[in-house]
Amino acid sequence: MKSLNRREFMKGSIGAAATFAALSQSKAHAANDKIIMGVMGLGGRGTYLAEKFAERPDVEIAYLCDANTRRFARAREVVEEAQDKRPELVQDFRKILDDRDVDVLVNATPDHWHGLGSIMACQAGKDVFVEKPMAHNVWEGRKMIEAARKYKRVVQVGMQSRSAAYVKKAKQYIQSGKLGDIYLVRVFNMMKHSKQKETGSQPVPEGFDYDMWCGPAPKLPYNPSRRWLNQWEYSCGPIAGDAVHQLDLARYLIDDIPYPKTVAHAGGVNALTDGRQTPDTQLATFEYGPLTLLMEAALWTPYMKKTPGDIRDSDRFPNWPFSSTKVEILGTEGFMYFSRHGGGWQAYDTQGELAHSEYGRQGDKEHQDNFIECIRTRKRPNSDVEIGHLSVLLCHMANISYRVGNQRLEFDPRTESFTNCDQANMYLKREYRRPWVVPDEV
Amino acid sequence: MSRRLLLSVVIGLICCRGSYSKWLEISNMEVRREPTELAGPKMIIEYDIEDANISPASPAYVFVRYSSDFGSNWQLVPMDSLRGNGFDIVDRPGHKQIIWWGTGQTSFVDLSQMEIRVRGMAMVRIPAGKFIMKSLPGGGRDESSETTPDSNLSLFYMAKYETTISMYTDYLNEVGGEGAGWNPRMTNPDRCGIVCQSNYTYNVKPGREDYPITYISWYDAVNFLQWCGLRLPSEAEWEKAFRGGIYLDGDQAKKQPNPMPERRYPWGDESPNADGVFRCNFDGQADGFDYTAPVGSFSKFGSPYGVCDLAGNVAEWTLDWYSTSYHAGLDGFRMARGGSWMAVPSACDAITGATQLPLKESSIMGFRGVKGPSKPR
Repeated sequence: MKSLNRREFMKGSIGAAATFAALSQSKAHAANDKIIMGVMGLGGRGTYLAEKFAERPDVEIAYLCDANTRRFARAREVVEEAQDKRPELVQDFRKILDDRDVDVLVNATPDHWHGLGSIMACQAGKDVFVEKPMAHNVWEGRKMIEAARKYKRVVQVGMQSRSAAYVKKAKQYIQSGKLGDIYLVRVFNMMKHSKQKETGSQPVPEGFDYDMWCGPAPKLPYNPSRRWLNQWEYSCGPIAGDAVHQLDLARYLIDDIPYPKTVAHAGGVNALTDGRQTPDTQLATFEYGPLTLLMEAALWTPYMKKTPGDIRDSDRFPNWPFSSTKVEILGTEGFMYFSRHGGGWQAYDTQGELAHSEYGRQGDKEHQDNFIECIRTRKRPNSDVEIGHLSVLLCHMANISYRVGNQRLEFDPRTESFTNCDQANMYLKREYRRPWVVPDEV
Repeated sequence: MSRRLLLSVVIGLICCRGSYSKWLEISNMEVRREPTELAGPKMIIEYDIEDANISPASPAYVFVRYSSDFGSNWQLVPMDSLRGNGFDIVDRPGHKQIIWWGTGQTSFVDLSQMEIRVRGMAMVRIPAGKFIMKSLPGGGRDESSETTPDSNLSLFYMAKYETTISMYTDYLNEVGGEGAGWNPRMTNPDRCGIVCQSNYTYNVKPGREDYPITYISWYDAVNFLQWCGLRLPSEAEWEKAFRGGIYLDGDQAKKQPNPMPERRYPWGDESPNADGVFRCNFDGQADGFDYTAPVGSFSKFGSPYGVCDLAGNVAEWTLDWYSTSYHAGLDGFRMARGGSWMAVPSACDAITGATQLPLKESSIMGFRGVKGPSKPR
């Protein structure tokens, strides 16, 4: 079977690559077939995923990919320890897409590569496990859904809490009506980040394909002291990158509420004034008719702690007032503290008395199980691409409200655009750097 | 009154390449106890250390451990209770004497139950002074405290070689009674090579003595070094040892300027495999090694001070940590430096760092110790 060669690809941008998809053929999987994967992006998360998937008897990691060859060793070591076969090490992820034996692309790149990398994988007939935040912008997220549906791909987003059993129980508890009618949900994401210490730009180190790393984003002078997470070109911001987990959980707990009608943001770069673009303080109000969702997030709160490691998989709860990643559900007849990372949940009645407690366990393994199962059954996974889109949409909306001067914005779900601010609509889509362009028709 | 004691002495071997990859050889050790008029008994330890390479620039680090219950439990003798010319930094070979004052602190009941072990490790002197630190980002000490790494370091000493399998096995046989410090991966014959017997005694797979210990968590490394009376290097110390200070003889003397204070590799700027010459152990077999290499195998390409294998072989744990709180709450990564046998050649340079969770036990990770200020910068 002929595939599009690289020259043709570069000439035509990925619009041409759509034809590639028509030529692609995905394998049908018997239950005992190994799923062959390539992992794109070998930072901490990508290396973790490579290790966890490699440890599974039903998976083989065939490729490890990073633009920076310095990242190869750490990931290769964990994969080789977990499986017999040595993975191939590549800087260009298209080698993974070109290999017909590969079933899955695990996309654990920085935010700016999530969309295009995943779309190209769908076009090449690969299923995708993509890390959160799923898309760099609103428009791109929609294109990811279109690609997944058009090419009938399983796309699981790395929002693993959805697969944890205690989360499902919390949803059932809320659905049972024990909290009454829910009118307010508060989502927290309070962290402590340090200031970046900017130095000048530097020569690109040997062995680092910086052009590939930039991909669809502008190729700014190489300056590793400017953290990519703090730059709009490459990121949705460090708050979005983490808060999206709790926002997604909040949506899940309240029946997967789809679109808010409005967003209003307060905050900015207030404490970490170090040249960063993305805010260190974000208070966002999302109105869903009678339900209001509040996000309270900051990067300068050292006393707020993520659920400690020794609590995550234990019969203990976090210290709720100082739990940095909690969700609070407020109903007319009850209140719920809910914690990410397997921290569990506790519900209280109208008198403030404890009504129910549920310890938690993290859902990483279950999330990976669900992905593998869906590859075989072709069902939609727990964190399907559309779910990922609707959850990260909240982050994009908050960011856009901030970028237009903390205006209150009204959102039209049919067009996925704002109805009261043209300037805000300019932030729905990025400018793509050729040839790394997401086409209108995926 | 003096009394001879039955002693156990750990004697290292000199490896065939002429470099000391295990403990330095200590011989003719004798111990006796003498009374003093007013200060209670004192212990006199005498031994010979004859390695001709020992010098002020390449001294030995000598430490003493003792057991007062036939070797069941061991403790490090505090350096501040010792006197003489044969402990801590020893910069001349020859006959040495250690006077251990304050042996009353050990509460010996029966001297016949006592054992003493004296061990020596090859070190390299890194004189005080400025150097050029370039490893960013992630480099630098404790990023969360917003401090900047200091480019002006005090005098310190760094182990000439990465800690070897035989040294670590010796440690396990003293403290690893219930498997502490050991994990089953260490049995991997290609990547490590320690065999644990059913009674928690440990043996080195023959031929693996001089290879660097691997599958070591950050905590394992710290525990081993505390056992010796050493600590891990800070990133700044590691990088200075790698490329040298502005003056190789230190900022006090300033007679020996470093010709390449911003060198990329310990030997200069040439790639590890430039011109078909292999200068360290990196990915692939071309350098002569599939996996790790015996420590000191590339001693010709040591750092300006003579520290071996900083580039390649095993990446080395450092004291510094790196906060990546925005990644799933995984705070507390520790920094490892120096590339490894699995790394591309360019990753064996002075500035590349890798973050690792401190519990990680990896076949590409090892460590070495330093003797220096207790609160390094």
